[in-house]
Amino acid sequence: MEKPKNKNFIKKYSDIDVSIFNNVLNYLDPMLTDVLVKVPDDIKHEIEEIRIRAGKPLMICMKGSDFFINKDGDISIYNINPYIATDLNVLKSFQIICNYSIYAIEEELKNGFLTIKGGHRVGVSGKVIYGKNGLETIKNISSLNVRIAREKIGVSNEIMKYIIKKPNTIYHTLIVSPPQCGKTTLLRDVIRNLSNGIEEYNFSGIKIGLVDERSEIASVFNGQPQNNIGIRTDILDGCKKYDGMILLIRSMSPHVIATDELGDEKDVKALHEALKAGVKIIATVHGENVNDLKSKPNLKQIINEKIFERIFILDNSKGVGTISKILNGSSFNSIREDDGNNYAYIKNHRKSNYNSLF
Amino acid sequence: MVTIMLILKIIGSLIIIASSSLIGCLYGDKYSKRLRNLIYMRNCLQLLETEIMFTATHLPEAFENVYKKGNKNVSYFFKDIKEYLLSNKSNCIYDSFQFACSKSKNNLCLEDEDIEILLSLGKVLGKSDRIDQQKHFKAILTQLDRSRIEAEEKKKKNEKMYKSLGILSGFALVILLI
Repeated sequence: MEKPKNKNFIKKYSDIDVSIFNNVLNYLDPMLTDVLVKVPDDIKHEIEEIRIRAGKPLMICMKGSDFFINKDGDISIYNINPYIATDLNVLKSFQIICNYSIYAIEEELKNGFLTIKGGHRVGVSGKVIYGKNGLETIKNISSLNVRIAREKIGVSNEIMKYIIKKPNTIYHTLIVSPPQCGKTTLLRDVIRNLSNGIEEYNFSGIKIGLVDERSEIASVFNGQPQNNIGIRTDILDGCKKYDGMILLIRSMSPHVIATDELGDEKDVKALHEALKAGVKIIATVHGENVNDLKSKPNLKQIINEKIFERIFILDNSKGVGTISKILNGSSFNSIREDDGNNYAYIKNHRKSNYNSLF
Repeated sequence: MVTIMLILKIIGSLIIIASSSLIGCLYGDKYSKRLRNLIYMRNCLQLLETEIMFTATHLPEAFENVYKKGNKNVSYFFKDIKEYLLSNKSNCIYDSFQFACSKSKNNLCLEDEDIEILLSLGKVLGKSDRIDQQKHFKAILTQLDRSRIEAEEKKKKNEKMYKSLGILSGFALVILLI
């Protein structure tokens, strides 16, 4: 398999990134699309979020800061003559995003976000309506946040050797990371690799059950996963982790269960159930390091029981998605075989014009 | 010579009677056509309601399904809506309804009040949750029922009248000419 170090490979990637952005524009009000489509390509491929607020300037976010955008598609860090999104812009974009069918997105609206084709997520805020069963719906939509999903295929290739246990099984694996450091991206690619199999290690691929509570990993749209998560993966979309794990063990006989963001009391219970059934676990969790996990009520138990045999710790030190430590889960010693310079896996490879704006 | 004239006269009068009764039939037919289309339309809307209530299908897809399942005399109305909606993104459901209504109003022999009912559906369709949508459908379907009853009465009253009027006026014209 080709590694993402090759320059040509990276170039091709960013072209895809531009077309991903253009696809997202199909879901916005044509008036906004006309503005955003004029943004230069070398900026388009890095845009992470489009923020549309009624009566406020249209903004885009990338690399951790936000930018104004004028009606000719020029971006600037200063609030000078920006394009102002109207409430009609917001309303129409919302209508197109939900396909003119609010009744079809009732459940998603309760969570405050919708998934559109391509796995992108649109956050929604407005007036919240409460009913008998708690939060019922959101009306008078005033802000939309379009988060552009870019799956990074191949980011886990380098670390698979730490996860695979010969001959054809894996270690229980935990990915620990603060928010926005790429843990879901890494998890998704690990799933893809395990599910497809890896020739290099003579690993033939195993059945994976994925409990995707927040529709982030597979990004299911209309029942179809929008991200590449491998050929042997069964997905339970929008399912609570506890229910999902039990359900999968019962119905799909998975070899591995993968899930995102452990933390509830019930999650721990579900983990024990899965262990009883002899299933391997791959999970992610919010946290800075092992000591941080030990201070959290439910996670403490998991760590002390030493369920997980491999622990990956991510941070932002060398760009988003730096794998800072790879630990053995029972002794908490590092088992990394190299200096660790290769693992900033979601590096920003291309210089872009926007640096010159500062 | 006289016989030829007579034959010509008879043929002429037959043509007059036939055409006038045809005109009468056409006028009268409008009423039964309206009634038929209202019934078909009601069925289509029920299909649409099912699509929304039980499978929560997105509207464009739901319109397509109604087009496929419904009576073809009427269901093209929904295909029109879908196509207009998808090709003119900047417009809303109501605009699409307006477009489809104005396009097929004459074709479907619907009257202004029927169009009004359909447009009122266009104003609310897809704008709220399922329970609310069901209420709207219920209201629309009762209105359509009322329209249907009225159309039935009109048909009873007018269809026969136009038909016999056509034939009789044909005869009258023939008598006058002879």
